Amino acid sequence: MNGILLVMTVVLPIILAVPVALIRWKQDTHWMIYTEGVVLLTSALSYYALANSDGQAHVLFRFANDLEIAFRIDGLASVFAALVSFLWPLATLYAFEYMSHLKHREIFFMFYVMTFGVTLGIAFSGNILTMYCFYEMLTMVTLPLIMHPLSKEAIRASRTYLLYSLGGAAFAFIGMIFILYYGTTSAFVPGGVMNTPAVMSRQNLLLIVYVLTFFGFSVKAAMWPFGGWLPKAGVAPTPVTALLHAVAVVKAGAFALMRITYYSFGADFLRGTWAQTVLLVFVIITIVYGCSRALKETHLKRRLAYSTMSNLSYILFGVVLMTPLGLTGALCHMVFHAFMKICSFFCVGAVMHQTNKNYVHEINGLGHAMPVTFTIFTISGLALMGVPGLPGFISKWNLAKAAVASEHPLALAGVFALLVSALLTAIYMMSISFRAFCPGRDFDLTAVAGYRDPGWRMLVPLGIFVVVMFVFGLHSAPLVEWLATVAEW
Amino acid sequence: MTHDFVQNFPLFCIILTLFSGPCCMILRGRWARYVNLGVISAVGVMSLFVLLDVCARGGSYVYMMGHFPAPWGNEIRVGPLEAFMALFFCIIMLLSMIGGAPQRLRKIEASKENLYYVMVNLLLSSLLALIYTNDLFTAYVFVEINTISACGMIMICQNGHTLEAATRYMIMSLLGSGLLLLGICFLYGLTGHLLMSNIKEAVAQLVAAGTYHAPLMVAVGLMCVGLAIKSALFPFHSWLPDAYGYSTVSSAAILSSLVSKGYIFLLIKIFYRVIGFDIICNSKIINIFFVFGIAGMMFGSISAARETNIRRMIAFSSVAQIGYIYMGFGLGTGMGVLASIYHILSHAATKSLLFVSAAGLSESSADSRELADLTGAGYRNASAGMAFTVGALSMVGFPLFSGFISKILFAQAAVNQSGKMLPTLIALALSTILNVIYFMRAVIVIYTPLRSIPAERREGYRRIRMSTYPQITVVFGCFVLLNLVLGLMSQPIVELCARGLGMFG
Amino acid sequence: MIPMTAMAPFHLLTLGEGLEISFATDGISLLFMGITTVIWILVGIYAVAYMKHEERPGQFFAAYALLYVILLGLDLSANLITMYLCYELMTLVSMLLVVHNHSREAIMATLKYLFYSLCGAYLGLFGIFYLNHYCVDLNFGSTGRLDLSALAGHEQTLLIVVFLMLIGFGTKAGMFPLHGWLPSAHPVAPSPASAVLSAIIVKSGVLATIRTVYNIIGADFLRGTWVQTAWMSLTLLTVFMGSMLAYREPVIKKRFAYSTVSQVSYILFGLSLLQEQAFTGALLHVWFHAMIKCGLFLCAGVFVVICGCKRVDELHGIGRKMPVFLACYTCFALALIGIPPTSGFVSKWQLALGALDADVGFFSWFGPVVLLVSALLTAGYLLPIAMRGFFPGEVSCSEQVGLLEKKEPPLLMLIPIVILAIAAVMSGIFPTGLINVCRNLAAYFL
Repeated sequence: MNGILLVMTVVLPIILAVPVALIRWKQDTHWMIYTEGVVLLTSALSYYALANSDGQAHVLFRFANDLEIAFRIDGLASVFAALVSFLWPLATLYAFEYMSHLKHREIFFMFYVMTFGVTLGIAFSGNILTMYCFYEMLTMVTLPLIMHPLSKEAIRASRTYLLYSLGGAAFAFIGMIFILYYGTTSAFVPGGVMNTPAVMSRQNLLLIVYVLTFFGFSVKAAMWPFGGWLPKAGVAPTPVTALLHAVAVVKAGAFALMRITYYSFGADFLRGTWAQTVLLVFVIITIVYGCSRALKETHLKRRLAYSTMSNLSYILFGVVLMTPLGLTGALCHMVFHAFMKICSFFCVGAVMHQTNKNYVHEINGLGHAMPVTFTIFTISGLALMGVPGLPGFISKWNLAKAAVASEHPLALAGVFALLVSALLTAIYMMSISFRAFCPGRDFDLTAVAGYRDPGWRMLVPLGIFVVVMFVFGLHSAPLVEWLATVAEW
Repeated sequence: MTHDFVQNFPLFCIILTLFSGPCCMILRGRWARYVNLGVISAVGVMSLFVLLDVCARGGSYVYMMGHFPAPWGNEIRVGPLEAFMALFFCIIMLLSMIGGAPQRLRKIEASKENLYYVMVNLLLSSLLALIYTNDLFTAYVFVEINTISACGMIMICQNGHTLEAATRYMIMSLLGSGLLLLGICFLYGLTGHLLMSNIKEAVAQLVAAGTYHAPLMVAVGLMCVGLAIKSALFPFHSWLPDAYGYSTVSSAAILSSLVSKGYIFLLIKIFYRVIGFDIICNSKIINIFFVFGIAGMMFGSISAARETNIRRMIAFSSVAQIGYIYMGFGLGTGMGVLASIYHILSHAATKSLLFVSAAGLSESSADSRELADLTGAGYRNASAGMAFTVGALSMVGFPLFSGFISKILFAQAAVNQSGKMLPTLIALALSTILNVIYFMRAVIVIYTPLRSIPAERREGYRRIRMSTYPQITVVFGCFVLLNLVLGLMSQPIVELCARGLGMFG
Repeated sequence: MIPMTAMAPFHLLTLGEGLEISFATDGISLLFMGITTVIWILVGIYAVAYMKHEERPGQFFAAYALLYVILLGLDLSANLITMYLCYELMTLVSMLLVVHNHSREAIMATLKYLFYSLCGAYLGLFGIFYLNHYCVDLNFGSTGRLDLSALAGHEQTLLIVVFLMLIGFGTKAGMFPLHGWLPSAHPVAPSPASAVLSAIIVKSGVLATIRTVYNIIGADFLRGTWVQTAWMSLTLLTVFMGSMLAYREPVIKKRFAYSTVSQVSYILFGLSLLQEQAFTGALLHVWFHAMIKCGLFLCAGVFVVICGCKRVDELHGIGRKMPVFLACYTCFALALIGIPPTSGFVSKWQLALGALDADVGFFSWFGPVVLLVSALLTAGYLLPIAMRGFFPGEVSCSEQVGLLEKKEPPLLMLIPIVILAIAAVMSGIFPTGLINVCRNLAAYFL
């Protein structure tokens, strides 16, 4: 029973999404209700499956003897699936309002819902092959979403996205083969599956392969120097950039890295090796690089995209520390950052939707016309900065705790980089809030008089995110404890 | 059907195709086409029966031609691998012929149409012969027939490009055949036999005794190089882009999918049945194959990325894919050869799909083959667009499609080999990236809307619905299905090939 | 009887594991709370009258009140986490005060303030992250909470971390090298805001330093290390540099801002000596400087708003028009210079004694020398205003002053100034109570 449930949760949205584009609907509200219904149904199924999971692997399909597509729910899967299932219905609601004046909406929403199914597929993957297959499918199913505007930049951005993603997957493929060959099983086991005697004699080779695989999967997680696609993808409609490129796609990359580090290669095998040091360097560089580029960037969404690049490397920093504390910190930030970043993106999207302004220097004084939006934006900015009381502080705390405890020479440099990044975050987020609320004495407020806050379909998700952020910021202990148990091996 | 009757089928196939060739000469265009299709179908059905029979028997058998036993008579040998190859080639050929039909009818002059089918039938006969033969000289004869009929197929619609392409093809091919013949002669001089199994025994004795080592290696080398030239291994591939790029669709499809694979199959036969796989592995030949295979992978893809003509791009991609196959040989293990065989199947299915769908896209874009003109073709010809996307994804190695299984088999074969493992895997990864560059670029171009093209250039663009050419839509469906079968149900196929390979030597 | 240790802390909520927000009272917190409240009330009264000359008084008072609550929270913090939370909130809310009049300079100054404050706060946070691992817990204790067994082998790193923390918290206290925000923020803020900024908010940097050095790390760990030497050097450098820059600065509020930079580093110098008398002197100077500087800025507010003068040379002859007011100013000036029997003398005397007594080699005598030089410079930049105000000499009254009526500033503005002036002088004459309190605290920590 449970196996069918798992499979249905993944496959149902993919199949049910197709009628959205193929049927000729009489009215817009009809297909909107249908789409939201499918998404809510999938979320409900997903939560039901998480609540009733039996921890067993359920094989969907077999390629060959040891190559099978199997689903399994474990702690890590629950975290990712729960996060994604909570955010998707809200994002769909927001997207309805945002896309209201754009064309080809039905096709857009068909792929939007299919992406949900594929992301759940990644979350529920029980072995490396399943995860690889769904990972590749994620690239293809999000491609039409980026291409949607069909403008020159969109086409270029989708080409870049495709090249980076499929190229990264090509290198991740090498890792998959090695895990299949040198591991006792292809499934994900906490602590790793490496066959220790066979492995010890070829340690350096496996470390090289691990580094290559990490680079391969890190393309989706936007690590320097493979993250170049992320800012360009900002040309897609905001619901896409917000949900996919701040939450689903990039978190899928981080999720995959967690899987290969802790559940396939095994953190104990990797900790203390040169591979860990090399990856720490890249991660730390990304943390600072992302924030520096965000500072220089004047396009609102691209600025947030660079901010995502930097924040994802917070998560990767926790992953590369290779300790249970490190994984806990990484999971913390994965969950919290999703909320903070999606909140920021939605605010920016609301501004772009209502005022058609895309650049930082154009939003002077808009805070007086759209107070709710910009207040929420400021709150999310404070959260990203790491003000105590909001979740950013909690995840930074957990990451720093893990870093200091790990006693790796580079770990303190990582903490320092985190704080430098916090400082830069403060500047590039607060400067937007400042411009909005304090445009200066000689600013003529009538210039912005015509703009309003967006409608309820955009404001309700924003409100929910703010409430959730405060709850996480003020009372994070239960969640963090659960994440710590998930991170154990 | 009783075994005794079925046993004769391979011979029937060869004879049927051989004689239907001249038959088509005297028939008119339309009838020749029907005869051709009928022959291919019949051969396919017969091969299916042979396959079932051989699998049921669990072993290969040798079939005497005429009443003269070895070593003076001629033989063919039938095993699971051979039968399966024959069946597969027939399927591909059938689909290619149907899929290329509309373009063929437009491009070729009506009076010359039946000549085309002559060539195709002869080509089929030579392929079957190469698959089944157990005699080295017979193989050579049919290699020549293969060359000539392929050349004819290229030349059938005469314009400057095809004549030049055919001439180049002829020169390179004959060079290859010449080297092959030299090698066969040396081998005959060394062993005194022409029947493959006998040669193998003699070679084994020679190697055991340690005599005539150099001449033997020279002979092997000549044969290998000759076949490598004919199957367009880097750096002998210069004839390929023109030949595939300018000929008709069905010619390109058949040439890229089947003709070069026939030579490669012969090469495998030489490895296993003439010389002996161990001896080959001990020599340095496989290292040369490995290096050139990887070079071909890289060079082919890089050249493809620079092409703006979609047919030539697909043709250069073939160079890269043949590089994969030779890299598989270069690994020097049974698993490597198995991966190469699987890649033969996968590539045949995918490449013909690509050629046929590219033709469909061109047709909706005023017959232009330039990528820039194909902008938005995916919207004008939906079925061709989807088929092309499927083919591109398979080339890139996307899970669900056959290319993915190929990559896995190559990678798994490589992992066992310590020395060559890392270069192989990195080459696979880089090649995937290069494939993405040009194939995915093409996919995005065909799905980019037309707005960027000025109106004057859009003359002659038309929508092609699925109902315009129903048979082509069916062909697309069959190709995609074939690709999915190879991608999703590879296990039984791989096992069958492995079993056949085991009985091959 | 002022409690020394924190009584059963009040636990408000738990942000996460190891992150508890708790409040407690001890001697230091009561001391700081006291001065905060006193200043807040007085400046509040002043601000009622002042804000009649500014826009949006409602926003100002809202931020003002909120800031008071947050500062109370800061003073009452029972552990480093609570302190950091209130520290960050204080930065954010005080930003609202600084940017109040929305001019371009105000916005730029606010962003600079934010940047510097965050730099400092994050340096402090870096230290907190590190300390979390090597301390028993982060609650404030009497002799430090370091877990020495866990610390073994990492002392050097901890010293570097502590140094960074000192620079970080020193930002708020205006210590070199991160003092640059002070001279920019003060002139653009409304005068009541500048007053509390100089009087109380910079003292939060001092409070954070005390908590870190004395309550968490423990004075014994730092005594004699290079950190102490570096800290003393930086503070003395700031003392001198601040006074020097104040001496040469013609804009009134900027001059007072540099003066704050200098004077707060007196306090930090006292703390850096890690010695009882110096600690006493430092705590005394917290109170005294708060009162004096607050008074000075309130006077500056009168200059700006009532007289319309922003620069020192515009104040000639002002004593003729507002004698009582300028007399109060003179009291503040004398107190800050440290002329007996004013309060400033008491605290500086304790500092000098402490320096001479401490076992810090070169700095024992160099410190008092610098303090003396700075006192001379203080006289140089404060007294001329008074003297030229009363005795303009050949140079007759400046234009702006000439236009004024002979009338004191409004009562609501004048009364707090007078109260503070009287307090500044009286505390010097009758210092015993306060000195005893501070001595007890010093004995408790050292």
